[in-house]
Amino acid sequence: MTIQRFQSLKRCCIGLGAMASALSLSSTPAQAAGDLLVAPTRVVLDGQRGTEVILNNIGSETATYRISLELRRMTSEGRLEDVSEEQENDIERAAKEMIRYAPRRVTLPPNQPQAIRLGVRAPEGLPDGEYRAHLLFRAIPEARSVTEKKAPEKGFTIALTPIYGVTIPVIIRQGNLQATAGIANGRLEQDADGQALTFDLSRTGTRSTYGEIRVTKPGSSEPVMVARGIAVYPEVNQRKVSLPVPPEVAAQLKGPVSVEYYEPANTGGGLIARTDMVLR
Amino acid sequence: MTKFMKAALASSVLVASVMGANAANAATATADAKANILQQVTVASDGSDLDFGTIVSGASAATVAINAAGAANCSAGIVCSGTTSAAGFDVTGTNGETVDISTDTTVLLTGPTDTMTASLTPSVTSMVLGGGDAFTVGGTLNVGAGQDDGAYVGNFTVTVSYQ
Repeated sequence: MTIQRFQSLKRCCIGLGAMASALSLSSTPAQAAGDLLVAPTRVVLDGQRGTEVILNNIGSETATYRISLELRRMTSEGRLEDVSEEQENDIERAAKEMIRYAPRRVTLPPNQPQAIRLGVRAPEGLPDGEYRAHLLFRAIPEARSVTEKKAPEKGFTIALTPIYGVTIPVIIRQGNLQATAGIANGRLEQDADGQALTFDLSRTGTRSTYGEIRVTKPGSSEPVMVARGIAVYPEVNQRKVSLPVPPEVAAQLKGPVSVEYYEPANTGGGLIARTDMVLR
Repeated sequence: MTKFMKAALASSVLVASVMGANAANAATATADAKANILQQVTVASDGSDLDFGTIVSGASAATVAINAAGAANCSAGIVCSGTTSAAGFDVTGTNGETVDISTDTTVLLTGPTDTMTASLTPSVTSMVLGGGDAFTVGGTLNVGAGQDDGAYVGNFTVTVSYQ
């Protein structure tokens, strides 16, 4: 997806030059540091075996990263929302408490990978179920003193520094858990960003479902579109899935299609749900 | 353009994760060969910053809005000039993978004697990766009446989340 970027100079305001208090504001380039790579993008832990997540500094300068465990809750819109400490429920708190990880802060020169070790220590008598937290990798901005930037003689400058982060889910499954899913209510929607294939993904059972959506036309084995990494977490029984589609794909999608939800190839690749529908 | 076509093609050839290929060890001595290929995600700046341009403020409070394409929209009573841009970010990962994008909704800009706030909006909240993926962050700067002079600094977070 390429986003067109065009710089535009404001023309409208030239005539207004006689404004009163002359505060001039010029934005200086914010220093960008903390470009990062994280792999893998999802961790499922069952049993006592731990794993590793690789963090790599792909920027051109040394950067410090903080690794933390965050709680997110899925909404019926399919978004992951922050959960504050006061809002935590027992399942979420248990997840946070049993996940062990180290180190929690690393300083990496460019192109230096670091393994973050992950493990689980499940408390005795942990009820069966799926427990989940999200591991957040975030670059820590370098402390910048105010004196470092020369204040303009008149007016003000703005320096906005972006801090990038990546979150990946860490899932712990205790006991023998089952889940099924269903697809319904498929339609093509027009929103501000363009067209989107939208449908409801429902889930029943004791764990989340995760996999890829494949949309195929009748008589064709090659999917028209594929979207991987679609989850329905246990806190919701149904979520909306809205997948942006370019106009030429949207045109292809119109008419009868079949929408299928498959497990990822590395966990068997089995079909979770399938629904035939007519899109208009 | 043909993002989903590419994604579709990729799906047929892409093996998501190959866990260790252990050589069989029988009576003869063997060495194990292991490979672990992981899906990755990267986030990086594309070099454009969120730039509100040059502003001459008026006697009353005003706003400067930068849209996802980087174009400025000044409220009445304020003068904007200079080049503006939205902050740009590149995301790479496995084709076809779905990611969510979120940013801080408001950011506090601190100057020597005064503060300002800006609200931020990412150009997309969810994307299906297809190679060459990018998004921008625009925002609205709230300039107070008689905003103090000085250098204002602020940080905002941009998070790419996997489900």
